[in-house]
Amino acid sequence: MTCLLRKSLRTKALSPFLHKLVGNSSESHHTLASSCWFWCHQSSHSLPQKTNPCFPSYSIPSSFSHALLQIRFWASEAAATEPSTSDGLTVQKILANNWNILDENDGDWKSHAAAVAQSIYLIKRRLQWEKLKVRLDMLSFQLGKEDLWDDPERAGKISREHGSLLGKMKEVIALEQELLEHIDMIKLAREENDADLESESLKLLLNMRRDAKEKELEALLAGEQDSCSCYIEVQAGAGGTESMDWASMVMQMYKSWAQRRRYKVTLMDEMPGEIAGIKRATIKVDGEFAFGYAKAEIGVHRLVRISPFDSNKRRHTSFAAVAVIPILGDGSTHVQINESDLRIERFRAGGAGGQHVNTTESAVRIVHIPTGVTATCQNERSQHQNKASAMAVLQSRLDQLEMARQAQLNAQHTQSLTDITWGSQIRSYVLHPYRMVKDLRTNYEVSDPDSVLEGDLDGFILSYLSASLDKEDDA
Amino acid sequence: MKLTLSSVYRPHSFPKFLYCSSFGTLGRRFCSSALSSSPTCVKPQVPLFLRPPIYSTKLCDLKKWHDWAKGVSLSIGSTFVQSDNGADSNMLCRELKWLMEDAVEDHSLGMEDDDRVKMRIDIEELYSLWTQRVQERRPFQYVVGCEHWRDLVLSVEEGVLIPRPETELVVDFVSHVVSENEDLRSGVWADLGTGSGALAIGICGVLGSEGGRVIATDLSPVAVAVATYNVQRYSLQDKIDLREGSWFEPLKDMEGKLAGLVSNPPYIPSEDISGLQAEVGRHEPRLALDGGIEGMDALHHLCDGAALMLKPGGFFAFETNGEQQCCALVDYIKSRSGRSFYNLEIRADFAGIKRFVIGFHQ
Repeated sequence: MTCLLRKSLRTKALSPFLHKLVGNSSESHHTLASSCWFWCHQSSHSLPQKTNPCFPSYSIPSSFSHALLQIRFWASEAAATEPSTSDGLTVQKILANNWNILDENDGDWKSHAAAVAQSIYLIKRRLQWEKLKVRLDMLSFQLGKEDLWDDPERAGKISREHGSLLGKMKEVIALEQELLEHIDMIKLAREENDADLESESLKLLLNMRRDAKEKELEALLAGEQDSCSCYIEVQAGAGGTESMDWASMVMQMYKSWAQRRRYKVTLMDEMPGEIAGIKRATIKVDGEFAFGYAKAEIGVHRLVRISPFDSNKRRHTSFAAVAVIPILGDGSTHVQINESDLRIERFRAGGAGGQHVNTTESAVRIVHIPTGVTATCQNERSQHQNKASAMAVLQSRLDQLEMARQAQLNAQHTQSLTDITWGSQIRSYVLHPYRMVKDLRTNYEVSDPDSVLEGDLDGFILSYLSASLDKEDDA
Repeated sequence: MKLTLSSVYRPHSFPKFLYCSSFGTLGRRFCSSALSSSPTCVKPQVPLFLRPPIYSTKLCDLKKWHDWAKGVSLSIGSTFVQSDNGADSNMLCRELKWLMEDAVEDHSLGMEDDDRVKMRIDIEELYSLWTQRVQERRPFQYVVGCEHWRDLVLSVEEGVLIPRPETELVVDFVSHVVSENEDLRSGVWADLGTGSGALAIGICGVLGSEGGRVIATDLSPVAVAVATYNVQRYSLQDKIDLREGSWFEPLKDMEGKLAGLVSNPPYIPSEDISGLQAEVGRHEPRLALDGGIEGMDALHHLCDGAALMLKPGGFFAFETNGEQQCCALVDYIKSRSGRSFYNLEIRADFAGIKRFVIGFHQ
């Protein structure tokens, strides 16, 4: 299973030279708000638990009464009649048959069908299907009440959630129906001895298998902010050059990972170490579900190796902390920032400035005075753009801060901020005396650290995301 | 096609020598007759990033060049910082990254060493460009032919002052002023000594499509040509009127009519010119830097003219050399023009240096 996941996600090995060039020059200056370093840990762990999973793609039916009709129809149909083939085969039965799931290339229709059924099963599990049906019934009942629109805000909320859940349910049922239709077609083709039709249908089924796999992955990412782009920040632990080198290896790992996933990576800010590596750095990762995946990386990463910076060739242990901050979309509520609360500073080497100096250095630092949160950007080529980028980082940090605050108010978080320290490791990378990368949360491990450091992180990420879901189920 | 392009690459030296040697020490106002003879023969250069990708090179060769250039940059260390507050290795490496971005068309991934990369410039030329940057201290912006300024990318070349980040704030001042005054937004603005056209284009942006127009003047025909090119790139020909001439001379028709007046005039005292950072002193036009003995010749001239040209309620913003000039200029305005200005203010740049004098006409 894991093997399959990794295979389907692995993209062509990329980025040998150009990207390194473009992404690698050393930058200087900046400060991060240490105060907001870890907050994302909190909310990313816990938000999926308190929010209902929702797919961002579904839109609410425009006509209300029409929606009501649909609800009843769908809710009852979903509960009453399970889709089946002409000879009574259902998705449940396919699962119960325990057909072998073979590799895509040498699978027969049963193998494909079993793989799709498996995906559908996992999607349903991740949607908490039974609870979803109950919830949907409850919402339908609420929507049917006469006095619903007396409180328009609440009514809006209910109808939005209802629309969203309904969308998910329809999507899954549509998948089931599609699977069974393909099976019907294949059986028909065999009865009729129509080889063309059979291979055509088999091809469609195979496509569906891949499609369902994708959807299965997406179902892992059902958190409110999962579909957002994000910032990834890496900070070196104590230990001088060795740990700064480790921090830069970790950052490089995320750059490569993001490029493999075809995300756009922008270096926002980087503070190089004196001899090698980085003290801190921030990258922006643009793309669908960047936050959903990257949030699995929040925490402390530990490296054990013979340090190239130690002339006595001793074994060293170093740490790097990783923070991931979602960039909320336009639809979300942002913290309101007052211009007067900001202090904007430009870095300069000293001197008279203005016409006296020709410099391409145009780093800008913004301090949010009430919270002390700061953001810096020097990656852009103009001061104006650096300021705009730094503002965007600042906005995300303040949003994050606010989310953490609200989460705490909701008392849903037993884990306090102080629990997350340098001691809370999530993953160990051992290069000596043996070679292994092991996730301490899931026990997922691989024996090839190089591939991991080159960005092959999906195995770790997906096993963590699945494990978090299992934890939710148990709760 | 190829012919015209290769000729575009060469003439760096032409305007540079024209300016540095013949007019370097002359005050701007006094040489208009000498310059106005050939306004049309100046052809602006195309910035590197806008040139067609007609060259190609093997990735491994590009890599070789990059490693060489990086080595050269690293060898500089903080030598330039110590000698005249120039760029350090870090900054040179960042510039190298930007030069790559501008020179290489195809940034796609997954290429092998033998694959060919599409380029906007010949690889040999890249070697000479980086040598110019590091050895001759040629400003990076002249090397790539552009400067990123606010949200604009402006073409620049020898003979035109490279717009400074500090000056970006002038546009913010204007933006603020016109946001509360519809009359000023729809009026005519002037940017004197426009250089690359940065302020004029930036202001045009904040006035908006419904707003007024901008008249930009410059004594230098190279500046007028480059500014014209930039104005065309942003399709603002209808909104920005470029006029060649000294300060207010081309504005005779606008007396008492201007809604706003901005300028980043030469303000460096003459005696400081020789000690300037090499990129500035050796390469940028003295005409745009040298403000006379006190550095305030142009600023005085601008303040005198502002009283005449601005309409009642009109706004002005001038960039200066720093606190001393700001204070001196405010005193000058108060003593010379008495009560013709109000709300005079000194504003600091992001580095905290008092940099701008702003105010309104009565």
